Amino acid sequence: MNRNSLLTTTLGAVLCVASLNTVAKDLLTQIKERKEIVIATEAAYKPYEYIENGKIVGYDKDLLDFVMEGLPGVKVTQVDVPWASVLPGLAVKKFDFVVTVVGITRERYDNFALTYPIGDGTVALLKRASDDKLSTPEDISGRIVGAQVGSSQLRALQKYNTKLISDGKPGVEEIKEYAAFDEAYADLAAGRTAAVAQSISSLAGVVKERPDIFAIMTPTIGPKAYFSWVGRKDADSKPLVDFFNERIALANSSGKMKALQMKWFGFEMPVPTSVPEPLEID
Amino acid sequence: MFSRLDGYIGPMLAGASVTLVICIGAILLGFIAGIALYSLRNTGARGAVALADVYLGFFRGTPLLVQLLMLFYIPIALGVEINPYVAAVIALGLNSGAYQSEILRAGFQSLPKGQVEAADSVGIPRGKTLWHIQIPQVLRLTVPQLVSEAADIIKASAIVSVVTVTDLLRVGRQIVASNYRPLEVFITVAVVYLILISIVQLFGRYLEARWRTKS
Repeated sequence: MNRNSLLTTTLGAVLCVASLNTVAKDLLTQIKERKEIVIATEAAYKPYEYIENGKIVGYDKDLLDFVMEGLPGVKVTQVDVPWASVLPGLAVKKFDFVVTVVGITRERYDNFALTYPIGDGTVALLKRASDDKLSTPEDISGRIVGAQVGSSQLRALQKYNTKLISDGKPGVEEIKEYAAFDEAYADLAAGRTAAVAQSISSLAGVVKERPDIFAIMTPTIGPKAYFSWVGRKDADSKPLVDFFNERIALANSSGKMKALQMKWFGFEMPVPTSVPEPLEID
Repeated sequence: MFSRLDGYIGPMLAGASVTLVICIGAILLGFIAGIALYSLRNTGARGAVALADVYLGFFRGTPLLVQLLMLFYIPIALGVEINPYVAAVIALGLNSGAYQSEILRAGFQSLPKGQVEAADSVGIPRGKTLWHIQIPQVLRLTVPQLVSEAADIIKASAIVSVVTVTDLLRVGRQIVASNYRPLEVFITVAVVYLILISIVQLFGRYLEARWRTKS
């Protein structure tokens, strides 16, 4: 009995010290020690991130390489994760950081640490190049429009639709929500929807690849919006998030970001070096 | 289309091999789980039978996708890191174990009872009787059903990408996400699945034929 309780106390003390030890070391220090960082990416947003020859490439990958130059010797393990598992996986610490285009919504703003913006997330509508009935975004009244479930682009679309209705237009017939944007594009090409709401910077890549099928409607439908990367919003992760922000700000001020934007998009996207307030939907 | 097909083959072979390795692991794990479940029930002890029933009820009564997500997210909540590929094999394998145990049970039941009694009477331990006398016969009897179960696992494995495993279907989606040509890519993915399953079926027929002539 006595031995047992002694054992329990010792074990308890050891566990306590062990847990104190891990609490004392923040995520950035842990990453430096284990010499590895695990990054989640949904490689389905050409030219931001996509797979080429089995590797994740794109604007975000190049920018990540620049960020990681600030942590020499740390190996980057970047995994391709379906969107539905990206933020949940980050929350349960499956990954250290999310490097994929994430639009700034209220829920994400409140629950995660978003970095300084890395791209322009202002939303525009994509249509079939052959669809003559659509010339300006207002023409989507009475048509079906798609977007990715839970995306900031979906929010912008809903908000735009509310505005259409308050302007006396009938509004869209239906907003279809897709698990991934590639499904939304496929349904648009197949004629099941009339348009897809997506950031204009991503759409530029779509139209470049399939100019025979798709076309962008101008002007954009939402207010100016941005894309960020994401970390956890706890004290443990704060030094890592700060590190990413410092490096992103450096990429921005040094012209590195602009050079990468010219390389991957062919145009420049000025972004602020602060985290903007999320897009509100009323 | 055929010139682009060239570009698909490399990544799709990589994806297909991931699918194949995971499925082979799952089939083997499922076989062992199936035997264990059968043995549990066969003991006749109330607790053991109840345990097997709960297992069967759970794995046949909930969606595989839910089982996979549980296996991925629950260990991490308890502070246990589980490799996604291992999680996929375990989820598919434990799930298949429930079905394989039913297939194997039918096989065991068709063996004459006297065999075990005879083995007992000459002093062969029960474990040896199981692995060296009963299981080889059960395998022969149930090859067609086990092959069909293996084909089911391959098809069911198409969901494993939710736990970050880059399997054949995920590779297809990656390609679609960069070339926006879903029709031809998914047709190619379907053809590769068909080839994988055909290989398994041909192997099953070969085993059947071989064992038939031997017996």
